[in-house]
Amino acid sequence: MSRPEIYSPEGLRIDGRRWNEVRHVRCAINTHQASSDGSSIIEQGNTKVICNVVGPGEPTGGGVGGSGGNQRAKDDNRVILTVKAVVAPFSTIDRRKRSGNDNRVQEMCLTIQHIFEEAVMGHLQPRSQIEISLYVLSQDGGMLQACINAVSLALVDAGIPMYDYVCACTAGMYDKEVLLDLNRLEENDMPFLTMATLGATRKVALMQLETRVGIDRLEPMMAAAMSGCHHLRDVMDAEVRKHGKSRLARTGV
Amino acid sequence: MAPNLKPSALENAFVLKALTENVRLDNRSFSQMRNLDISFSSTEYGVVDVRLGRTRVIVRISAEVTQCRSDRPYDGLFLISTEISPMAAPTFEAGRKSEEELVISRIIEKSIRQSQALDTESLCILAGEKCWLVRADVHFLDHDGGLLDAGCMAVSAALLHYRRPEISIVGTGNKREVVVHPVTEKVPVPLSVLHVPVCVTFSFFNMKLADNDDEEMDTDAPDQTAVLVDASLQEELLRHGFMAVTANTNKEICQIYKAGQLVVEIETLLSCTEAAVAVAEKVTKLIKRRLKEDEATRNVDNIFEEARAENTRLVADEEAIREMDKE
Amino acid sequence: MADGDRSDEVDAEDDDDDSEDERLFSLDPEADGDARITGVVKGKHIVTPGELVTSDATWMRGHGTYSVGNSTYSSVAGTITRVNKLLSVTPLRGRYVPEVGDHVVGRIIDVGTRSWHVDIGAKQAAVLMLGSVNLPGGVQRRKSESDELQMRVFLKEGDLLNAEVQAIFTDGAASLHTRSLSYGKLRNGYFLNIPSSLIIRSKIHTLELPGGVDLVLGVNGYLWLRKHTQQLGEQGVSITRLAEEAGWEIYSDENEYISPSIRETIARYANAIKALEFGEVGVNEPRVVAAYEASLEFKNVGEMVENDAKRRIARQVLAARS
Repeated sequence: MSRPEIYSPEGLRIDGRRWNEVRHVRCAINTHQASSDGSSIIEQGNTKVICNVVGPGEPTGGGVGGSGGNQRAKDDNRVILTVKAVVAPFSTIDRRKRSGNDNRVQEMCLTIQHIFEEAVMGHLQPRSQIEISLYVLSQDGGMLQACINAVSLALVDAGIPMYDYVCACTAGMYDKEVLLDLNRLEENDMPFLTMATLGATRKVALMQLETRVGIDRLEPMMAAAMSGCHHLRDVMDAEVRKHGKSRLARTGV
Repeated sequence: MAPNLKPSALENAFVLKALTENVRLDNRSFSQMRNLDISFSSTEYGVVDVRLGRTRVIVRISAEVTQCRSDRPYDGLFLISTEISPMAAPTFEAGRKSEEELVISRIIEKSIRQSQALDTESLCILAGEKCWLVRADVHFLDHDGGLLDAGCMAVSAALLHYRRPEISIVGTGNKREVVVHPVTEKVPVPLSVLHVPVCVTFSFFNMKLADNDDEEMDTDAPDQTAVLVDASLQEELLRHGFMAVTANTNKEICQIYKAGQLVVEIETLLSCTEAAVAVAEKVTKLIKRRLKEDEATRNVDNIFEEARAENTRLVADEEAIREMDKE
Repeated sequence: MADGDRSDEVDAEDDDDDSEDERLFSLDPEADGDARITGVVKGKHIVTPGELVTSDATWMRGHGTYSVGNSTYSSVAGTITRVNKLLSVTPLRGRYVPEVGDHVVGRIIDVGTRSWHVDIGAKQAAVLMLGSVNLPGGVQRRKSESDELQMRVFLKEGDLLNAEVQAIFTDGAASLHTRSLSYGKLRNGYFLNIPSSLIIRSKIHTLELPGGVDLVLGVNGYLWLRKHTQQLGEQGVSITRLAEEAGWEIYSDENEYISPSIRETIARYANAIKALEFGEVGVNEPRVVAAYEASLEFKNVGEMVENDAKRRIARQVLAARS
């Protein structure tokens, strides 16, 4: 079996994209009105994530976070965020049941919690709790980035004040070529990093690299990932505006 | 200071204010590490005691012959167990994983195991049947900040120090058996360590919070983030964010972990990775020096020197056998 | 994409002239009928988190904004609201934010010492102090220790009540009171819940609807539909005698007899309001009546749960407006 060519000499990737093209993004907000205060669904290529946000509301006490409950003191005058993620067993090609306390998933929940504790204006909602639930329906690379983007959208939908969208994107380094927004095949084949920025700024909320890479390769990857983040912000912002306009047209007083 | 206690608002203000004047409470410079001491057990291979300031970590490497995993017939097994017991600090509960512990164990895992610091293919004895299971048990004995950095260094140093027992394969065909020679019989062999990952944690402080306590972010102002290397426990409790970078002497980055908290300019992060490489070089140099010193004390009467030469030949034979197995 | 919009700025000097830029919010009070009544200018332009609202430092920053240096940015997705020099962004959606004087419907979630905790759909549970309710036997009487001991007899977990927001604590939680005969425990009806952003505030939130049904339109999006009953105040009882009239029946747990036709009307109203919610149409008295009338084309109330039917009703209500 011949292996698919990750990056052809003509500059095309497996799925026909150029190096600087992100996968097709489809997103929607306010998708689960009954079960949540804010909800979103995002598809980045074949990666698909649903996010529900409940809150801010009265703290439920024990904390349901996948990150092992809330040890933080209640007198902390900030909002309590809990993040819970479910990775569907059918989300990968080989059906596999992940246990709820899978270290990787728990780490992701913790990461997302830390990101949004900073992005959400938590001091405006003292003594309250925001519960974020994520459902990963399909994985084709970039699960973390899709989750972060989904949470951003759902929080905006819930009307929770935040400084800006947090938008995330991956970038990989194939030989000497930077590739933006990797799919699963590409992720398995090259070092890549996930980055999340606060809106269209140079401020980085998250940067994660899990594979070995030469330090000289780091800068181009970071630059590419950042431009990807900024592009995703535009896409998400457009969707929020579109939704807002249609809502306003109907609700208008 | 007990790590389960939250520092008071005044302590917080004091530390931040000092940082605006480029002073750390222990009078180090921002990029200076605490005193690092690495010592090895005099009786056993693969036992290392790392002290970083008052933080203390002991790592013990052990190995046993076991069954290969069916999905990876050419790979040996390498496990790192990082359970933080209440011995390190009373905040850690035995048996229950705290957030901090989760992060530490995941980063050590990514730094060393996922970056292929230990060549797991060399741990394979008989493809698909027998392989080595190398285990690194990390014990955190005292917590004064920097558990992650100390733990990662300790595992790296211990892997370099460890010698596994020599083996030989007896019999042919289906009746092949692996014989493990006790250390007293044959000279044990070192593990094949491909690179030495060193994890460096950078702590970020938002200096804008030093003067006024309001929560507003100033996106236009120049970056006012103080970056501290090797934070002490108090600094760890007060910091607004951190990034852990694992680097090695080949100018490679093995892992970066910056998860949320304070947002930091991309340029700052990039310069941190460069600083990490410099620290990694320094630490690796120290590890190598200590290893050499340890070697010298062990071979004080040179009784193993002759055996060593013979032993290398045996290793070569073993390689050849494995090559044949693969085919 | 919204690149162009991002650089939009509100110019404070613009106050008097009719801005020609459609994308800016209109500063002309004539442009919007409601503007003059409320003194608030509502814009059609949507801002999103992180968007620059104005770089003029003379504006005061209200809810939904944050500032960096002299510039004001939006922190939610919503529309800009301006009252004199105060700029705020009203989110499109969000939890109910209580304000003093709001008429709300709530549910008891906890009975504490000398107070009840009430879920009103806000960020935090509201508090109803024992001293803020009418107790049997006199409006103004002192609350005794025995009252404290039998709080669960008056209101217990799960009970619904309507109340007014009396005060807001510094952390944003609301304190309620039911010291009027139009407030108190709710019975003889049906509870439904719609987003609070859809409720249009008006002077009266206890509506008497055609068909013998009352609607308590809580500002927090909690609604109570019930059989029309003579309220105590309506029976021509003089204020001085109110106290004696306020007997145990205001805390009664018994429903009165409700005829099947009234039940059906209640269900019809409920489905009509759900149709408005489905279409995200703001809810006020005329709209509810209009939706009810539009729903009369469906003989069977059950048909109204279909999305098509909901859409049809919502569309008719909107058409009636213009």
